[in-house]
Amino acid sequence: MQTSRDHFDFKSIVSERRLVGLWRMLSSYRLAYVGAMIGVALSAALKAGNYLLLRTFVDDVLANERFNALPLIGLGFVGLALLQGLFTFASGRWAARTAESVARRLRNYLFDHIQRLSFTYHDHMQTGELIQRATSDVDAVRRFYADQAIGMGNIVLMFAINFLALLNLHTTLALVSVVVAIPILIVSVFFFRGVSKAYDAFQDQEAKLSTVLQENLTGVRVVKAFARQAFEIDKFDRENREQYCLGRRLLLWHAIFWPGTDILCGMQMLAGFVVGSLMAIDGQITVGTYMAYAGLVIWVIWPLRNLGRIIVDVSTGLVSYGRVFEVIREDREPMDEGAYRPAGNVWGEVVFEDVCFRYNGEDGAVLHDVSFRVEPGQAVALLGSTGSGKTSLVNLLPRFYEYTGGNLKLDSVELKEYPRSILRSQIGIVEQEPFLFSCTVRENITYGVGRDVSDEEVVAAAKAAAIHDVIESFPKGYDTLVGEKGVTLSGGQKQRVAIARTLLKDPRILILDDATSSVDTETEGEIRGALERLMQGRTTFIIAHRIQSVMNADLILVLDRGRIVQRGTHDELIGREGTYRCIYDVQARIEDELQREIGEGQTSEAWETSEVSEEATYVAL
Amino acid sequence: MSHYEFEEEEFTTQFNGRTMLRILKQALPHWPWLIGFLVCIGVVSIGDAYFTFLSKRIVDEGILAGDKVRLWQLVRVYGGLILVQATLVFIFIFLAGNLGQMVRYDLRKKMFEHLQALSFAYFDRTPVGWIMSRVTSDTERIAWLVTWGLLDMTWATMNLITSVYFMTRINWQLALIVFAALPILVVVAAQFRKRIIVEFRKTRKVNSKITGAYNENITGVRVVKALGRERENLREFGKLTDEMYRASFRAAWLSALFLPVVQLIAAFALGAIVWYGGLQASVGVLTIGGIQAFVSYLTFMLWPVQDLARVYAEMQHAIASAERSFSLIDAQPEVVDRAGAVDPGTIRGDVVFDGVDFWYEEDNSVLKDFSLHVKRGETIGLVGPTGGGKSTIVNLVCRFYEPKRGAIRIGGRDYTELSLHAIQSRIGVVLQTPHLFSGPIRENIRYGRLDATDVEVEAAAKLAGAHDFIVTLEKGYDGEVGEGGVLLSVGQKQLVSLARAVLARPEIFVMDEATSSVDTLTEALIQKGMETLMRGRTSFVIAHRLSTIKRADRILVIEDGRIKEMGSHAELLRQKGHYYRLYTKQFRQEREAEYDVFRVPVAEPAAV
Repeated sequence: MQTSRDHFDFKSIVSERRLVGLWRMLSSYRLAYVGAMIGVALSAALKAGNYLLLRTFVDDVLANERFNALPLIGLGFVGLALLQGLFTFASGRWAARTAESVARRLRNYLFDHIQRLSFTYHDHMQTGELIQRATSDVDAVRRFYADQAIGMGNIVLMFAINFLALLNLHTTLALVSVVVAIPILIVSVFFFRGVSKAYDAFQDQEAKLSTVLQENLTGVRVVKAFARQAFEIDKFDRENREQYCLGRRLLLWHAIFWPGTDILCGMQMLAGFVVGSLMAIDGQITVGTYMAYAGLVIWVIWPLRNLGRIIVDVSTGLVSYGRVFEVIREDREPMDEGAYRPAGNVWGEVVFEDVCFRYNGEDGAVLHDVSFRVEPGQAVALLGSTGSGKTSLVNLLPRFYEYTGGNLKLDSVELKEYPRSILRSQIGIVEQEPFLFSCTVRENITYGVGRDVSDEEVVAAAKAAAIHDVIESFPKGYDTLVGEKGVTLSGGQKQRVAIARTLLKDPRILILDDATSSVDTETEGEIRGALERLMQGRTTFIIAHRIQSVMNADLILVLDRGRIVQRGTHDELIGREGTYRCIYDVQARIEDELQREIGEGQTSEAWETSEVSEEATYVAL
Repeated sequence: MSHYEFEEEEFTTQFNGRTMLRILKQALPHWPWLIGFLVCIGVVSIGDAYFTFLSKRIVDEGILAGDKVRLWQLVRVYGGLILVQATLVFIFIFLAGNLGQMVRYDLRKKMFEHLQALSFAYFDRTPVGWIMSRVTSDTERIAWLVTWGLLDMTWATMNLITSVYFMTRINWQLALIVFAALPILVVVAAQFRKRIIVEFRKTRKVNSKITGAYNENITGVRVVKALGRERENLREFGKLTDEMYRASFRAAWLSALFLPVVQLIAAFALGAIVWYGGLQASVGVLTIGGIQAFVSYLTFMLWPVQDLARVYAEMQHAIASAERSFSLIDAQPEVVDRAGAVDPGTIRGDVVFDGVDFWYEEDNSVLKDFSLHVKRGETIGLVGPTGGGKSTIVNLVCRFYEPKRGAIRIGGRDYTELSLHAIQSRIGVVLQTPHLFSGPIRENIRYGRLDATDVEVEAAAKLAGAHDFIVTLEKGYDGEVGEGGVLLSVGQKQLVSLARAVLARPEIFVMDEATSSVDTLTEALIQKGMETLMRGRTSFVIAHRLSTIKRADRILVIEDGRIKEMGSHAELLRQKGHYYRLYTKQFRQEREAEYDVFRVPVAEPAAV
């Protein structure tokens, strides 16, 4: 059995030509798949053999009264069935192995591929769309191998082999028997195409009905609050009735197709019977031949009805392949590309020299000529409003995105020389609302640490991150599941889990992405303490928009629309005219205002916000 | 209630006669259709078996006897039968199909109407997804069972019986051989089906896990990349795909084994027939046509046997579906009109909580001996931590729930004496996450009062401050809001839901204010709209914004189901308690946002 760890590079073999691509994807299972096809052919041949044996039985044994051959004939039937069963089973098993193995390989590949695609790709691709391609489209490709290609082979081979057997019995009779083959094929393709359209309409309506239902259920408060039950019932009934009608239309297709083709196939068979039996009466063929004919002809005519369905299904399989192909051909982030490999950890000296950056395919640059220098272990704070480029700037460090101009050096080596994998192992990120995975708390803390971690280490990290007590208060402690099926953590708690995780990872460079703002008042102090412990001895980038979060930084950069407009320490900046002073003043003024309001509130309740804030805004700028 | 109660695909293995009976009852209102298709399928099934018998007669009476006249006679019968069969097939597909549509339609209608009557408590403990599957896929399965399931079963049974009948007529000793093989066939087929279905169910479960893994890894891709977890994630995902491989491969090869095994059993019977039949033919008891008929009957006996096995397996599934669906239909609403409930025509008046106890779960009290007297026209602001009981209070006012102990009086009357409609049609509710229905904006506003004219709708929108943004939309009031309102911003949805409440002209107004940030201009508009609504109406507002809090007549700080602090804005500030802390913190945050010095040009002042 192939293991899931086999690394098969789909990207190097996929082709825009869909059938070529599907064939190449079979690599290393081609033999099994061809074997499966041969098995199908053999079992079809053996089935035909059954009827030929019947002819021998009737013509040679019964007619010539050689009754001592009877047990042999009986054994012959059992033997044929045994062989036929063996081949049917073998081909089914091989086809299943091929389809399932290729599907598993494809699933593993896509999973890995998707997580290694660049940020630029993920920024533009919707999650739902991507999931659909990785799941239902992959399944459609699997069905192509498991059902459609084999099914088509089965019908074609069955037709061909039984037809050959018929030809062998009697040429004219054989030719007479396939008159309706082409019309049936055409009718069935036409039918299944029509049905799949009618079915799509039916399914669309099902989706509409589901939407009404879902909106009703999620909006149950609104429905009840406005006492709109009757209205909702009407609305649902309309969609329900529409679906009823579409269902009937779909039904009509079936009600016409199946009996219609029944008549076609039945009449064809009957015609064969008439010609055959007249020939038998006239002695042109033997009775045994007639009987073999009557048995074989069934397998030539009836399967044709289903060929139409398979042809229509194959086209959906091909469409799915195309959608999977579009994902596969995307380029991955080369994780190990880069010539420089530092011995051990980096120091953490970061130098920006005229760094520019723009997002792929967009006109405006996000960062313009950014230059600054951070010594190892220093903290640099980036202050600015939303869209000023703070986040874009720190996203360059782990090479989530590539800077488009200037030089960015880590320990005096150009960042592009570092392989991404090494870089990312040296950088830790704590976000405002970190993403936790739906596994246990312990697994979340050790997530991505990349080495075995003892329980003591986990607890120590949790304690340092001031989250240990919270975790202990859960019934299952560190084994508590996080997320939908377990406990829901508050923003502050998630953040402290992320801090513990980063402590364990022990990176040289730290990015605190808005980690200090807007957490609940009660835990603000604890988080601040935990963050300070985390920052010790690491080069830290702090993204913030409040003065309190950046005051202690060694260097403060004020960003505005992608440019550094001010730089310095808190004490330096406070003494200078400029944006930083403005922010500082505003925050001081807010405190004044608050005190005034509380004071006024004690004397008078009438207090108009608008006047004061207007006035204050003018003063601020 | 545990989460796992709602896991999908749990089903009872044993055959449940009562449920089966109740499923059949669903078709009872349309009994002519049911009888019609059953009769048709019965006849078709006999006809199918008769074809083989006719073929035998063609051989024996036509070919072997060399009788062309007889041959043509038989051929005409055969041809006629084909036409009759085709007609009957058309009729039964039509009848059964329509019956299926009707049963599904009825069931869905019944369930939806019942859902409208169910109380809040039911929706609290039942996930939306669970209800959705009951109404959509389970009804489908029930409809399948009473139509195609029943049809396949009838066809297969009748076909087996008539085949056996014809075989007995041709030669009873040989028929005995087939008789012996038949039960073995059915049992083997059923066993196979059962195992295959178990594997299929496994694959479905793993499949949803795989989808979940994709979802998590894609939404968390930033963390994955930042922490360099790719290799380990792939290893874990590999376990899932291995599981998937095992289950689906097993299902596939079991299916592949199924047919050969059944065929082999049939082949043994065939061999026995050829051997024994040949001996009989030697003494002239059995004709050649007879042997041919036996061969055909045996070959095609596989189809009814397979059908029976399939229906049997699927039936268990359908019964499980039915059990869940019926549990939904049988659920009793907790809040209902009392006998003699009246509609007094208005619910204006004081709202009084008198020693109210309330809990969602038995030993976890949310409100305890809660008393409050709200004067007509008063605005009450509710603040406090999540889970403290604010939402419960407004839910009780709306009578989404009723007090477990104590009473709530509106206008001096215990509100359980009033009809639900009397109360709920006169309360205007605006929710924290505004819920809109897909459709044009106009219809969403009109939801507040269905007979409102377009002019009234627009007037309401103007009052609520929604008009200005609506007219800037390309299609104005006819613009679609999308599923759940996705095409509008949160603030716009708020404005539309305000307009909806304005149009309803409520006598009591309840609002759970949104916490999500909206831009300053929209916020000011929402503020104004709310004031319009609250003017002169008894209002309960769960407040998150400073300005709303300040303007309330009375502010209640609710914590642990009790009133911690109560009074006007100024009074509470003076107390320097919880409200004071909350207010000062919010004040700083809001002002900071307002004074964002990076914003150019000068930020719009909050109140326009």
